[in-house]
Amino acid sequence: MSEKRTGVFVCHCGNNIAATVDVKKVAETMAQEGTVAFSKDYVYMCSDPGQSSVIEAIKEHRLDSVVVSCCSPNLHEGTFRENAERAGISGFTCEIANIREQCAWVHKDRTEATEKAIKISRSAIRRVAGNKKLDPIAVPVTRRAMVIGGGIAGIQAALDMANAGLDVVLVEKLATIGGHILQLSETFPTLDCSQCILSPKMVEVSRHPKIKLLTYSEVKEVSGSVGNFEVKILKKPTFVDAETCKLCDDCAQVCPQVVSNEHDLGLTARRAIHIPFAQAIPASYTLDEEACLGLNPIRCGKCKDVCEAGAINYDMRPETITENVGAIVVATGFDLYPQEKILEYGAGNVADVLDGLQFERLCSASGPTQGHVKRPSDRTEPKEVVFIQCVGSRDPAQHCAYCSKICCMYTAKHARLYKHHVPDGKAYVFYIDIRSGGKNYEEFVQRAMEEDETVYLRGRVSKLHRTKDGKVRVMGVDTLTGQNVEIDADMVVLALAMQPSQGTADAARTLKIGRDKDGFLAEAHPKLKPVESVTGGIYLAGCAQGPKDIPETVSQASAAASKVLALLSKPTLSHAPTIATVRNSHCTGCEMCVTACPYDAIHLENGKAVVNEVLCEGCGSCSATCLRAAISVRNTSPMQVHEMIEACLSL
Amino acid sequence: MINVQDIRDTARDLLAKGEVRAVIGWRAGSRGMAAEPCVVTKPEEADSLVWDPTCYHNLALQLVNDRKDLVHSKKTATAPIGIVAKGCDARAIVVLLQEHYFKREDVYIIGVSCENSGVLDERKVKAQVGGFAPSAAAFDGDNFSVKTAKGDKKLAGREVMADRCLECRTPFPKENNTAFGDDKTGREFDAQFAALARFEANDEAARWEFWQRQFDRCIRCFACRSVCPMCFCDECVVDSIEMKIAPETTAEEKANRIRWIERSAVRSENATYHMTRALHLAGRCVDCGECERVCPVNIPLRLLNTKMEREAREAFGFDPGASIGGPSLVASFRDDDPGEFIR
Amino acid sequence: MSEQTYEPKIVAFLCKWCSSAGSDLAGVSRIQYPANATPIQVPCSGSVSPMYILSALKKGADGVLVSGCHIGDCHYLEGNYLARRKLHLVKELLQFVGIEENRFRMSWVSAAEGAKFAEVVKEFVDDLRPMGPQEKLKAKRA
Repeated sequence: MSEKRTGVFVCHCGNNIAATVDVKKVAETMAQEGTVAFSKDYVYMCSDPGQSSVIEAIKEHRLDSVVVSCCSPNLHEGTFRENAERAGISGFTCEIANIREQCAWVHKDRTEATEKAIKISRSAIRRVAGNKKLDPIAVPVTRRAMVIGGGIAGIQAALDMANAGLDVVLVEKLATIGGHILQLSETFPTLDCSQCILSPKMVEVSRHPKIKLLTYSEVKEVSGSVGNFEVKILKKPTFVDAETCKLCDDCAQVCPQVVSNEHDLGLTARRAIHIPFAQAIPASYTLDEEACLGLNPIRCGKCKDVCEAGAINYDMRPETITENVGAIVVATGFDLYPQEKILEYGAGNVADVLDGLQFERLCSASGPTQGHVKRPSDRTEPKEVVFIQCVGSRDPAQHCAYCSKICCMYTAKHARLYKHHVPDGKAYVFYIDIRSGGKNYEEFVQRAMEEDETVYLRGRVSKLHRTKDGKVRVMGVDTLTGQNVEIDADMVVLALAMQPSQGTADAARTLKIGRDKDGFLAEAHPKLKPVESVTGGIYLAGCAQGPKDIPETVSQASAAASKVLALLSKPTLSHAPTIATVRNSHCTGCEMCVTACPYDAIHLENGKAVVNEVLCEGCGSCSATCLRAAISVRNTSPMQVHEMIEACLSL
Repeated sequence: MINVQDIRDTARDLLAKGEVRAVIGWRAGSRGMAAEPCVVTKPEEADSLVWDPTCYHNLALQLVNDRKDLVHSKKTATAPIGIVAKGCDARAIVVLLQEHYFKREDVYIIGVSCENSGVLDERKVKAQVGGFAPSAAAFDGDNFSVKTAKGDKKLAGREVMADRCLECRTPFPKENNTAFGDDKTGREFDAQFAALARFEANDEAARWEFWQRQFDRCIRCFACRSVCPMCFCDECVVDSIEMKIAPETTAEEKANRIRWIERSAVRSENATYHMTRALHLAGRCVDCGECERVCPVNIPLRLLNTKMEREAREAFGFDPGASIGGPSLVASFRDDDPGEFIR
Repeated sequence: MSEQTYEPKIVAFLCKWCSSAGSDLAGVSRIQYPANATPIQVPCSGSVSPMYILSALKKGADGVLVSGCHIGDCHYLEGNYLARRKLHLVKELLQFVGIEENRFRMSWVSAAEGAKFAEVVKEFVDDLRPMGPQEKLKAKRA
């Protein structure tokens, strides 16, 4: 066997190690090891002179491997491996012996600590003796990205990436992109019209040569890993050819099937064949298969008969589309917490008690009342409106423990919009406290109170019910005056909590990415990796990751886009080479490793296990399962562990 | 009761039609009463096959050997190979199939049920017949009749049946292409794991005292490993774990290669060998008892193996040798596997 | 170590992501614990072969510790589930042949459980000390 020439570098870490461990003795003892050609101690190995001395020693003593006895590998393994590379040897022939966190800092007795430091260092020397020179594995990447969810987050991420030159596939579950933002009337804190903000971006998406838009489509299956995902998408049939549809509305005029309009949250109705709203992208009608009488000229066929453009085709079938992408941005958004779960406020059964999105529709010029605020029950103008904040939020006992973050602001907006529509009306807001952090947010709330004379009542509403004279009686308490408050309102608007959308739950399952305790997608690190999921190559944007407002959503979407652009900026990705490797001579093809592998990284070829270098993460489950020692992780082979065990028991 | 002529006719027929290239079975032993494994390749040899309570050998081993022959000589099989298999032989075949050692269509299983019997334990027989080696044995439904130099002798079934047969619940080979004899699955002669439970009643010191004597005695002849159909690896991990022997490998390198276990037959090495073997057989051992039968120094190896089998069954709901398709014991897990022992 | 003050020798297999990080945290927090356990960092508790444990005992370890991520927290998703099953068998077998139950120990220590790691080692040493040296499986030449 070839003679190893290992250099051992024992760090004092100032006094951190040297106070407890006799570093000189460690260095001297290690010099006696058969594979050690050089050994020294130094006050700060990670300092510039320390690192330079390692490089000099490697060159001068023709070292082929390095052990640094110092702090935790989590701190400086990277440092010393890069340093070794600078000296011209493979970084993977450098190992760290952790004699600080796992020795010097936890023991007082100098003799014991020194003995343990010797064993730890010797173990690293034995390990490095078996280490192979390895080069990072270059994995070719697919330089395309996918965005799941076509709300503001998905649109922003897709546009940012496409404008940087990346091909993007944007997948949206509904028949149009746009998301919740299109249901809004105006947006805080500037009260600009949401359609005016979003429509140009939607058009840009539809015309962008780099964006492939798949609406009415759902991601069904994802395989592969960072850099190379294969995504299977189910595209549902719309039964209308978007290219030929002239948007004349003739089909909807004759359609006999009337169902609730989800875009208006049930405040209006639509036909089975419909366009979600006038500015829908793609601009086309969709035939809702569930609502239709039966896609059959014998049953009905009126829409097909009336369509002069000949755009309707009952023979369209669901289509499975496979897309290969290198990275995925998940922007699957939120749903409102269901009103049915709020039993104290009538569980959705009290007329004129609306949720925030319904109120947005009532304020919207394109909404069911053409922008005139009217009660759904009798189409009269409400003169007294009560807004209740924190409905479902901040209630760990019954509903969601978290703060939904945007409700304080949108309630203030609702109150102001109402007052602008009904200047002689009275607006009351029940709140726990006002959270208006954000640029110009506090000023916005102040204007709601001062300019628009909204009455803010600090307290909770205990219950509400319909009165005989068609009012909604709201019973609450004003905790500032300590008085019970009873208001006979014409309308009540609940600021319901945000919860992860059904699509978010589905995406988490399909993509196998984690969710937090509330069901929002989990970021890889709460502070340092807020847009990365725990799975490489999958990024998060918008309310799927947690409640947030539009500017924050857009920022996160752009951040996710920039992460994807960085990831896919080079033609290859680098993957750690410390992965499983098979000894063909010993493999019997029993498939135990195939079963044990959590990453599906092993398969059988001609009766022998073969490791997919990209999928393998080097966990070693295969190695511990194999009865024949036919598979092991590079640089952690059973023989190396065997030698390390011996070293650990050497004193 | 199985008519042995049925087995012979089946074998002859399969060979004559070319449906199998050979039939692995038992024939009359060349020495004493015990049958011995044989490979019949011609139809006219089929009449040499026997089926009696001395068919101890687990023939799955011959199947492994056949496979090795094919692989090492780089030949491909022209037709499947036939094998006569009792319950435990068939379970061993199932484990081999589960581990993809060969394909189901490569084997034609002629199942034979042990029905209400099993195989003899020669040591028990010898104790009963006063040292005269019997030359033949048969089972009449209740008793074994053995021929000795002193004439015939009837021995009560329970007295001379192998321990593992007394505990056996699956004397019928469920996995088969054709089978003879009644399916007596679920029969109970003796409580399952009875010997194991008796041993476990000992305290820790007594258990070690016992095993220390067993491990001290082992001569590391590796008969247990050689006879075991599950020990089909070309090179055993206990011999070497890492080194690949190439033509240029020097003698010194060979001598210095790391072994998990030293060659010398001393207690520590023997204990590690037997414990490693037990762990490697966990979920795979079908309790055919061959290791214990062939041990020249009478180490009760079944105790180790049945201990692992019972853990597999009781802790993990795993039934070794029951199904071809399922995952192996140690390559899989359940969310509710026991974990109370972990701090 | 001298005969009169017997100090048990422990080989501790620590998974890189949780238990080794937890041990680091014990260090950062300066929580003192006995120096008897020498750590070997492995990628995952699931990579610990039963052979490692037998080998350590044969080479003269008085105790062997395997520590990984809590169930559900494995960096490699499932490694600790596989470890739990495999090492259950090892534990049962060791006890079966009459090796003291406390010679082999397994724990789940997260990256945030520095104090727990120190406690696990301390308890292990306390349990091992009265047993005296492990001679049953120790090779004579080890």
